[in-house]
Amino acid sequence: MTSAMNAPMTAYDNTATGDQIELISFHISDQEFCVDIMSVREIRGWAPATPLPQTPAYMRGVINLRGAVLPIMDLAQRLGLPAIEPSARSVIIVIKEGERLIGLLVDAVSDILTINPGMIQPTPDVACASVRSFVRGLISIEGRMISQVALERVLPEQEALAA
Amino acid sequence: MDELEIIKGTFFQECEELLADLENGLLAMEAGSGDAETVNAVFRAVHSIKGGAGAFGFEALVRFAHVFETLMDAVRSNKVPATQSLAADLLRAADILADHVNAAQSGDLVDEGRTAAMAAELTALTDPDGLAAPADDEGDFPDFTPQPIAIGGDELGDLGGDEFGFTPMAVALPDDAPVADEPADAEWEIVFTPHASLYRNANEPALFLRELERLGLLTVTLDDSRLPALEDLDAEGAYLSWTARLTTDADETTIREVFDFVEADCDLIIRPFTDDLHDLHDPDGDDLAEAPAMPDIAAILAKAAAEAPIPEMDALPAAAGAVAAAPAAPAAAAAPKAAESNQGFAAQATIRVDPERIDKLIDLVGELVINQAMLAQRVVECGLAPSSSVATGLDDLEQLTREIQESVMAIRAQPVKSVFQRMPRLVRETASMTGKQVRLVTDGEATEVDKTVIERLSDPITHMIRNAIDHGLEAPDVRVAAGKPAEGVVKLAAMHRGGRIVIEVSDDGAGINRERVKAIAISRELIGPDSQLTDDEIDNLIFLPGFSTAAKVSDVSGRGVGMDVVRRSIQALGGRISIASRPGQGSTFTLSLPLTLAVLDGMVIDVAGQTLVCPLTAIVESLKPKAEEIRNLGPSGAVLAVRGGFVPLIDIGYVLGFRAAPLNAADGVVLLIENEDGGRAALVADGIQGQRQVVIKSLESNYRQVEGIAAATILGDGRVALILDPDAVVAMRRQGGRAPDPALIAAE
Repeated sequence: MTSAMNAPMTAYDNTATGDQIELISFHISDQEFCVDIMSVREIRGWAPATPLPQTPAYMRGVINLRGAVLPIMDLAQRLGLPAIEPSARSVIIVIKEGERLIGLLVDAVSDILTINPGMIQPTPDVACASVRSFVRGLISIEGRMISQVALERVLPEQEALAA
Repeated sequence: MDELEIIKGTFFQECEELLADLENGLLAMEAGSGDAETVNAVFRAVHSIKGGAGAFGFEALVRFAHVFETLMDAVRSNKVPATQSLAADLLRAADILADHVNAAQSGDLVDEGRTAAMAAELTALTDPDGLAAPADDEGDFPDFTPQPIAIGGDELGDLGGDEFGFTPMAVALPDDAPVADEPADAEWEIVFTPHASLYRNANEPALFLRELERLGLLTVTLDDSRLPALEDLDAEGAYLSWTARLTTDADETTIREVFDFVEADCDLIIRPFTDDLHDLHDPDGDDLAEAPAMPDIAAILAKAAAEAPIPEMDALPAAAGAVAAAPAAPAAAAAPKAAESNQGFAAQATIRVDPERIDKLIDLVGELVINQAMLAQRVVECGLAPSSSVATGLDDLEQLTREIQESVMAIRAQPVKSVFQRMPRLVRETASMTGKQVRLVTDGEATEVDKTVIERLSDPITHMIRNAIDHGLEAPDVRVAAGKPAEGVVKLAAMHRGGRIVIEVSDDGAGINRERVKAIAISRELIGPDSQLTDDEIDNLIFLPGFSTAAKVSDVSGRGVGMDVVRRSIQALGGRISIASRPGQGSTFTLSLPLTLAVLDGMVIDVAGQTLVCPLTAIVESLKPKAEEIRNLGPSGAVLAVRGGFVPLIDIGYVLGFRAAPLNAADGVVLLIENEDGGRAALVADGIQGQRQVVIKSLESNYRQVEGIAAATILGDGRVALILDPDAVVAMRRQGGRAPDPALIAAE
């Protein structure tokens, strides 16, 4: 999984045009986060999801994405923040990871950033376990602090829980 | 290179079919129901594999196939009697042949020792008296080697010494064995003039000449008279011609079969060789000038003769004689037979299609079904009368959609035969490994099921059969002591039942030793030491993870991964597995699977504000219970009185966690369901919307399996609805209702 996530990044680093990477940034309550644009398949508006039984609270359910069943994860809850109240501004960021697709529910998408990987600072050693495991690094732009989400840790395990 | 790979791929596909034919034929022989045509079919299968393998240079395969073919040739000419014990030996040989084909395909090595032993066995069977004199043939090679070998470059280098190491086998050919009542060897002349297309198709003339050489004593002369000056030479042209003199007792058809694969790509003249002809066809003589005129007649004759794969062997000596006098005679005699056998094959005309194309088609039809449903719903929402032309048009569309869907699914439906026919070998091997005597009986091989299901049937069936032999059947002496025949019977049957396919694997062994199963389950702490279990419950303990009853860990089963793996893979397919066992009489494993993994007939229900789909196959009946039919049982349980019996009431919404307290069944509807082992339960829902065919969408492809949910689908309004797994819902209820603590899952 890790290698799949890193692949686009590496490709970027090796391009002749330089070592710039592009990120999509979005809001969850008053915080700003970002993910690599290469892992984003599309961005779509909120649609009511069909809830799944026996799943963690951050799994909002599934929606129909052009004939495929797309699981929706409330990224705020996954990161340990209060659950998102879906509104007209809420968006679903469809992430492609390997062969599977998963939708991340966030409050709003803000912009596309083009940055130098050197600008990503290591996550400070804070007490919160969810931050330590889910935030890969911090980016400081124009006085904003943007956390880069470690997608490979945030996305749910695919194996069945049956045991 | 790519093209060659494609041709190779086709060859291996054909091999698979040929091996299946081979095995079926041999099984028929073993069962004593094989006639001359069966023997011929077996011979043809081996021969075709050998031919193809030769073209691709799979030497080990060719070598083994040749020994096999030689024996089959002897069998079909009644030199070796086709007994049942011979068929058993041949079946083992067929297994090794299959190994060779696999090895050729994967590039792996085969078990040389086994091959050599089997080859020796086959040779001994072919020539029980050891009459063949290996030395005989050695001398022939010098005659053959000098001329053609100089031409082909690298590949011909491979024909070196090692190659001829094969020859002692060839000697075993009855052709070369001077048996007293054998007909005299005939001499043949073969003029082989490849066209450019032959080379283009990656064929190598030397290989054909080498094939000829296997038939008998061969002398080859190269004619390079048409070779132009270097500056006029087209690098991809064909200029060479070979004239071969073959002394063999093989008939013209056999000789022609060597060129089976290239007949369209060459001029081929095969004629009996007489001294008169010899003068005429001296390589330096005029015969080559006249050669171009010959092919017309020769080709027609060739075709007619080649289409008759196997002329009667008994007629051979006569035919051979006739050939000398009138070349047309055998062809004419062969013609009716050709027509006959062609008819048999025409019925099975098939096309090969890339499965991806079919999958794509099935996906599209699935979308069509959803779209049709959405459209129908919109029309209803518009308030159009059901008798309006739009509504009736939609009805027709629905009918059509359903038909298209069924037709498309039928494309992918295949008989389970393809899985079943792998099992005889498994049984043979497992039987010999465990030292038990086993007879496999199969039934319902023609039962059709979706290809995706078939592919995933093989492993569970393999496991269950191994299990039946290893754990189910007793050792022969134990069986005899118990008054049973020494040979155990494992029965593998398939049938359609209620929109599902049911596969049964049963044995006539000792049945499940319940005392031991229970003791083991207790020792492994799978159940408490004082558990009170019914016989049925004890039997089902073997499905628990980590359970293995093998007293000693054998090669065959008992690696700790046992029936639980089988059960899980069956469940992943939406199937069920159950066991019935009677002490001393054997056990029967029954697994039932949906016929397709693509669509499902479902009952659309409302549950706590959600729309769910319950598979129709599970529902016995749906009813609106009266208050007096509902009886409370214990602090929180309730049962429904149905026709004198009591069935537990289970609220779907509560079990799945959609509501905090169970719905009173009197306020909703009840779906009476029956699971595989015959147990009944009454599932409570808020309401029923209706029956609908839905397209199954996997939850696992983007997420993972969810307990109680079999899959998802997309309804007419475009929203996702979950498809219920009724048995799992019942099981969840039995395990204490509300599922694992969500906090536990969150902490993963």
